[in-house]
Amino acid sequence: MKDFKITRRVFVGAAMYMVSAPLFATRKNTVLDIQHVLKDGQFFSAQELTILIDIAEIMIPRTDTPGATDVFVIPVLDGLMLTWASNETKVQFRTCIEQVKSLARDTYLAEYSSLGLTKRQHLIEQIDHSSFNNKNTKLSRNYRPLKEMIFHIYYNSEQANPDFVLIPGAYRGDLSKQELEAITARGYL
Amino acid sequence: MKQNTATGSDSDQTFDVIVVGSGITGGWAAKEFCEKGFKTLVIERGRHLDHPSHEYTDMKAPWQLENYGLASETLKEQGRYSQLLAKKKVLKSDSIQFYADDAIYPYSFPKERPFMWTRGYQLGGRSITWGRQVLRWGKKDFEANAKDGHGVPWPIGYDDLAPWYDYVESFIGVSGNKDGLDSVPDGVFQTPWELSSAEKFIANNLSKKYSDRHLIIGRSANLTQPSEAQLKLGRMPCQARAYCARGCTFGAYFSSLSATLPAARNTGNLTVITDAIASSIDYDESSGKAAGVTVIDAHTKTQTSYKSRVVFLCASALGSVQILLNSKSKSFPNGIANSSGAVGHYIMDHFTGAVGMAEVPGLDDKFSYGRRPIATYIPNYRQEKADDVDFIRGYGFQTTAGGRPNSGTTAKRAGVGVKAKAEAKQVKPWYFRAFMYGELLPYFENQASLHPTKKDAWGIPQLHIDAKIRDNERKMIRQAAKDIKEILEVGGCNNIKVIETDKDKHITVGNRTHEMGGACMGSYPKTSVLNKWAQAHDVANLFVTDGACMSSCATQNPSLTYMAITARAADYAAKLLKQGKL
Repeated sequence: MKDFKITRRVFVGAAMYMVSAPLFATRKNTVLDIQHVLKDGQFFSAQELTILIDIAEIMIPRTDTPGATDVFVIPVLDGLMLTWASNETKVQFRTCIEQVKSLARDTYLAEYSSLGLTKRQHLIEQIDHSSFNNKNTKLSRNYRPLKEMIFHIYYNSEQANPDFVLIPGAYRGDLSKQELEAITARGYL
Repeated sequence: MKQNTATGSDSDQTFDVIVVGSGITGGWAAKEFCEKGFKTLVIERGRHLDHPSHEYTDMKAPWQLENYGLASETLKEQGRYSQLLAKKKVLKSDSIQFYADDAIYPYSFPKERPFMWTRGYQLGGRSITWGRQVLRWGKKDFEANAKDGHGVPWPIGYDDLAPWYDYVESFIGVSGNKDGLDSVPDGVFQTPWELSSAEKFIANNLSKKYSDRHLIIGRSANLTQPSEAQLKLGRMPCQARAYCARGCTFGAYFSSLSATLPAARNTGNLTVITDAIASSIDYDESSGKAAGVTVIDAHTKTQTSYKSRVVFLCASALGSVQILLNSKSKSFPNGIANSSGAVGHYIMDHFTGAVGMAEVPGLDDKFSYGRRPIATYIPNYRQEKADDVDFIRGYGFQTTAGGRPNSGTTAKRAGVGVKAKAEAKQVKPWYFRAFMYGELLPYFENQASLHPTKKDAWGIPQLHIDAKIRDNERKMIRQAAKDIKEILEVGGCNNIKVIETDKDKHITVGNRTHEMGGACMGSYPKTSVLNKWAQAHDVANLFVTDGACMSSCATQNPSLTYMAITARAADYAAKLLKQGKL
């Protein structure tokens, strides 16, 4: 076992969501640039979590703003599977993971988690494209709700909403950009 | 049942007044009677809530909400909230606790004509989650039934209610602009909310072409300039969060929890019992009056009867109809105060079916800050039948472009990775939306009745609601779709899109949560249930002042009118009580 570590971001994420999600101990494969989850979550298995974390990060990568992993999308999703998801959704998400694995084998003759990042990105992009191009396939019906949930968690997270103001104090509907930026900078009207 | 008494008398079951329901009208009845010195009992079928309540979620950021704001999918699997689940924007984890679950509180409707009955079973009722748009009705609204012969003519006019509108507005706090329009008369207003730059642009363009179509800022029961009396009740100015449906810790929007019930409690005359389901109004055959109210404990199912000199039924339009119909006696085998046979008839709601939306050009350098808690509004301009239309009555449009939109994300369309992320939530041109709110005619055939066999868990017959929109409303939708397209063009908008509901598609009555009727007011006991004071023709000490009393539904949001009718009726009943006539 080489390069085994609990990364800071996974640790912090698990700590934040410890009520709903267990600590995800991971092993980073630096060659393939993939985080292997070592223990099962509350709902998903370790193998499923490994793939989900990777898919989420491919969908919403870290750029100059946080990525899905930084925002702990999958630890949150793992918890939500117990409190939010219907049986149908549980089956859909698990089936989607199996379909991704199967497509990886069919396309590259290899397991998904053994593929390099470029191939994994290409695979997810292809799945995304085909799922919206034809919404009547089994893959599309499973993939689209999973993507929607990953995006919902990410874009409702604190990290993805640095300018969110819980209590604006008042409303102004006719501001110039400069006026708005000044208000945002000082945090109040 | 839990009793919360300000008088310290928890064994006494006799009161001057019993008010059934603690929502928007029940709170008003309680306040008025308590302030006039009457020992008043409020009966609420739901649980007790404080204000502010630990159930409020208004202080939570999106990431702090249960399930990140989503209602659990398991509800559908469990057959819960079967009707409300269709309202995805309403039924979310931040406020689901304020809505009654139809799996626990079932009601009935024809399979082919679902009816949406939105209920709030807690102290404060639906006043916690209401829309807060408070528009006065105009003179023509009260004259419409008499003029075109539909429904029962109103026994009151605008002038009867005008001082009570003033009275209610002064207490609840209404932000609004004095627009000088007959269709929505001006009232006692606090500082209005600002129109956005896009709304100003459209309003200005409309004013150049039309004399009858106006885009105005909504009139909102959110405080912008609280009075001393409002501050004294612990209420504060609105903070522009638009999280009103979660409950408001600041008490900034009017609810019975934040305003009328505390005012009533301050008098020392108020007693509240919660978890007490009013099953029937007890009728005294010898006196010909209501003797009181029988309630069933929501938990133990034991029955208790409370006595009073006056009963105010404020259990919501359909809730009150159910209680009336279930109050059977020798004199009233078909339900108390129902010698006319009109109880349960003329069920109404507003309906939509035409939605317009469009870009507002030329304002790329304009932005907004804060979340305005109220929409804009185009009042009804079709109260007079014009030659070019084939229907009667009319419609207004609930509209908004309060905030600058963004491009959203690719959650529901193709796109992942760096590029999709970079393109997410980019600022877009201003966008204006307009939803038609039409007046459903008061059809006798639109009826709520007691189901002959189905009962709820407390042994009360379920309410069966059979209501639909008809030909006149379909014609309105067609015209409204044409109108809104023209209005958006005149308003200077681009990329106009109009969605018109197909003429064969069922429009669920109740969807707008403005259900009204079922115990309509009228001048004649043979055709109506209540007189001009919302007092039962048949039973002098019984008043019904919630939405059930409405004889037509106009196009405006109705709660302000319910409150004005309640305050007026309470004043009248109080005078009769003091004169010993009740």
